[in-house]
Formats: sequence, structure tokens, C-alpha cells
Amino acid sequence: MTANDVVDRIKKNLGVPWNDKTVRDTFKAGSPETEVKGIATTFMATLDMIQRAHAAGLNMVVTHEPTFWNDQDKVQDLANDNTYKFKTDFCARNNIVVWRFHDHIHARRPDLIWVGLARALGWTDRASGPNQRSFTLPPTTLGTLAAAVKKQMGSRALRVVGDPNAKVSTVAVGMGYGMPRVSPDIDVVMGGENPETGGPFDDTEYVLDAAVFGKNKGQIILGHAISEEPGMEDCANWMRSFITEVPIQFVRAGEPYWSL
Amino acid sequence: MPLLVQSPPLTAQQVVDRIQKNAGVPWQPQSLDTFKAGDPSTSVTGIATTGMATIDVLTRASKAKTNLVIALEPTFFGRLDAEATTDPVYTAKQEFIRKNGLVVWRFTDHWRARKPDPFATGLAAVLGWTKYQVADDVFRYDVPPITLTALAADLAKRFKARAGIRVIGDPQTRVRRVALLPGLSTLAAAMKSMPECDLLLAGETREWESVEYVHDTVASGQKKGMIMLGRVMSEDPGMNACAGWLKTLVPEVPVQWMPAGDAYWRPA
Repeated sequence: MTANDVVDRIKKNLGVPWNDKTVRDTFKAGSPETEVKGIATTFMATLDMIQRAHAAGLNMVVTHEPTFWNDQDKVQDLANDNTYKFKTDFCARNNIVVWRFHDHIHARRPDLIWVGLARALGWTDRASGPNQRSFTLPPTTLGTLAAAVKKQMGSRALRVVGDPNAKVSTVAVGMGYGMPRVSPDIDVVMGGENPETGGPFDDTEYVLDAAVFGKNKGQIILGHAISEEPGMEDCANWMRSFITEVPIQFVRAGEPYWSL
Repeated sequence: MPLLVQSPPLTAQQVVDRIQKNAGVPWQPQSLDTFKAGDPSTSVTGIATTGMATIDVLTRASKAKTNLVIALEPTFFGRLDAEATTDPVYTAKQEFIRKNGLVVWRFTDHWRARKPDPFATGLAAVLGWTKYQVADDVFRYDVPPITLTALAADLAKRFKARAGIRVIGDPQTRVRRVALLPGLSTLAAAMKSMPECDLLLAGETREWESVEYVHDTVASGQKKGMIMLGRVMSEDPGMNACAGWLKTLVPEVPVQWMPAGDAYWRPA
């Protein structure tokens, strides 16, 4: 089975039409004709993750996010960079193929990245309504909620804004580079990563000021990896339903940060 | 009877006029550097510079009898400082500013355009690193070798930071040459600095760009790292530099830096 065969199988089972113009969901390293010994799904094909996949005998990496540090994986300006050379050499020497699965896993219904995040939070059946990405939880405090989310998601570097004693119940959740907008109906917004300020709407400053005025608002910033990594475990499970020839494993990229 | 010599009042508009004349860069008619709240004809009792005019900063300014606040970032929760909204937090902030006779003016586009970069020199000054500057490059510093974990702890203390500082790299890696990348920085900036430096001291970078690049650089065996301070915390010292500049420009009233501080906390 070649890497191309794997991608063809994904396309056949996706359930939504393939966009041939995608610049994201393409091969990033290695030849599509490579014979696949095993598949590793992951949030991000970091060098460390690729090394662990290789050690586990998996030579095809299905990654949600870029391999070469930019959204389109453009590499023309990277050729002389030592880290780029090390990463590409490692892939070439070890017959590694990297393919990105971003736009289409989000386009699939349901979006497996969302399924994974809701599952990881333990909130799968608790959405406020059908197809809604907000939740009405039993009333709690922002501090209690944030502590539960941190533990549940296994995060070291999650960040929270707002009064820990604020009484909260409604939570809107975004993934990746997505942060919902706080509103009168939403007490807490949660997402992966976001511009800290200067965007169309700055949740962080709003929540800081709302807290001073005694409004019950909060923001929980999970980190991009923490918010989207669980969905790539769901991706591995899904792929096993139509690829049985080779082993498929979820290989964690992990949270990139540590904190004091 | 002693003659009382009283200088004429200095208005917020006059302070801004003086800034425009002395900015050292051509004033652009279309810019974000405008009044965001309050009456420009207000007599100025004192000036506070800050990374962000949060209610906390505005309260501190008001208590210090300082009524002109010069802010780097937006005041009303978005790039364009939204007008006319019925949102309760927006109206409460407007009311707080009105009740306390405050004036908020934004100073970003032109302050950023100044050379040498005031965010680099300002950050270095707050850290006590000015003497470590490499040649004439205000973005590079050779500091006494220090481990990532010790430096992160030292930064947390200096900035009174809570959860806003995040680190990539082995905590025991010793760093000496530091590249400053305050604010939001690009992959290109990280790639330009990383080969010649041990540490990137950054504000905000994207997780699929510089974060992954530094993570991979460390995984390739290079003894390097990155510390992210957050966008506002990394740029606030640039507004300390601004306060220093304004003291010479507006000697009539007190000028002080009021950093917005670390917005973030983390549960145990």
C-alpha cells in the first residue's frame, strides 16, 4: 500500500467532495509512491513527533498542521536553514512521508477535530443545541471550571482571564486559531490561540474590564495543540475503519510550552 | 501681595500637537493614533503611558490625578475602537472615563515607526540589559550566561507575571545571546535571529510558525529556546521609553508609565 493509496482511501471515505485546489491537504515530505509500513496521525509533524513515529515503525505521518512552520508549507526560503536541513534529511534518510489533513477533516461531517475536542472535554452530549458549539453547564465558578478543563486536557500552559470567583454557566468553544466572541449570552469563551489584541474583537481586554465591573465573564486559552490534538486521535480511529492493511497509531505532538 | 504666576493650562490636544511635531517621523493623516475617549480640550494634570488602557490602568491613573492616558493598544476591545454600542461593558467604560474626566489617546503607528525601535530599547532598559547590547543592534544582547528556567523566573519577577510567560526548550539550557522580538513577530524574524542567538525573547508568535520552528530547532540538538512574554507584556516597556521621551517634551506635568500587567492566570 502506497501513501497515495492511503490518501485515495481517505478521499473515498470522507463523505464530502475533495477540493483539488487545496494548498494545505497535500504531501509535504517524501514520495507519494512510498510503501507505507504504518501510519501515525498527529496534531503537528514536529521533528520530535516524526522521530517517535519512526521509532515506532510508522513511516507515514498524517498531520493536521504544517510541517515547515508556515500555513502553506512554502519551503523556497528555508533551504539554507539548519533546522530545515536536519528535518528534511531525517525524513529522507528514514523514508518518511508526511501528508497534511486539515481543510477536509474540518469539512467532514461531523468535523473530527471538533468531535475530539468535545470528547476530550467530556462534554460530547452537552451542547446547548444541535450543531451548536456552546454548552450550558451546571453553574460553577470560572476558577473551578478552568481547573477542571486544565486537568481534563492535560495542559501545563493554559491561560485564563477573568475573576476566578465569577459565577459562570454558558461556555462557547472554538478550536485551533479560533476564539468565539464573548456576548451577553455567553459567560466564558474558550479556544486554541488568538491574537492577544488588535483583532476585530479583543476578548481578553473585554473580559479584564468586565471583571472589574463585576460581570461574570471569562476566557480560557487552551493552546492550539491542546485544542486540536484530541481530534487526530479520532482521525486514527476513523481511518482504521477503512484501512486494515497497516497499523495506524495516534502519536501525540504534545504541548510545545512549559511554564513556571 | 505676592504675584501668583500661573502658567496657562495645557490641553490634551496641545500635548498631542507637540507629539506630532516632535515624533521624528512624518505624521500620517490616516492612522490609528487618535483620541479614543474624553474631551481633547481637557486641561492635563498628568500623563500616564501604558500598553493598554484597561479599567485597572484607568483607575490607577485617576487615583494618581493623571488624566491623559496614552495607550499603545485599543481601548474599546478591537482594532478600530468600536463606537456607539449598547454593550454594558463598553458603556460602563465610557461612563468611567467621563465621570473621572479622563482622556485616552492612542499612540501606536507613529511610536512604532521611530528609530531605533523603542520597543527593543524599552524592553532592554526594563530588564537592565542596555549595557549588554551587541554593537549597534538594539535587538541583540549578550547577557551573563543563565539557564532558561532561571531567566524565566527572573522575568516573571520583574514583570510581576502570573501565567503569561511560556517557554520552549530544555529548562537547563544556558543562554547568552538573546534576540528581542517584542510584540507579534513572524517566522521570518525568528529564522533570521535563531542561527546567531541562543534565545528568542518574544511577545506573541503563532503556534504553527515560530513555536514549531524553535521546538524543531531544539529537537535537532541545538541548545536554544524561546520565551514568550505575551504581546502586551512584551511591548509595555516600550511605553516606559515613551514616558521618558514625553518627560522632556512635556515638562509642565508629571509623566509616568503604568504597565497593564499580566492579563493571565492559571489554576493549580
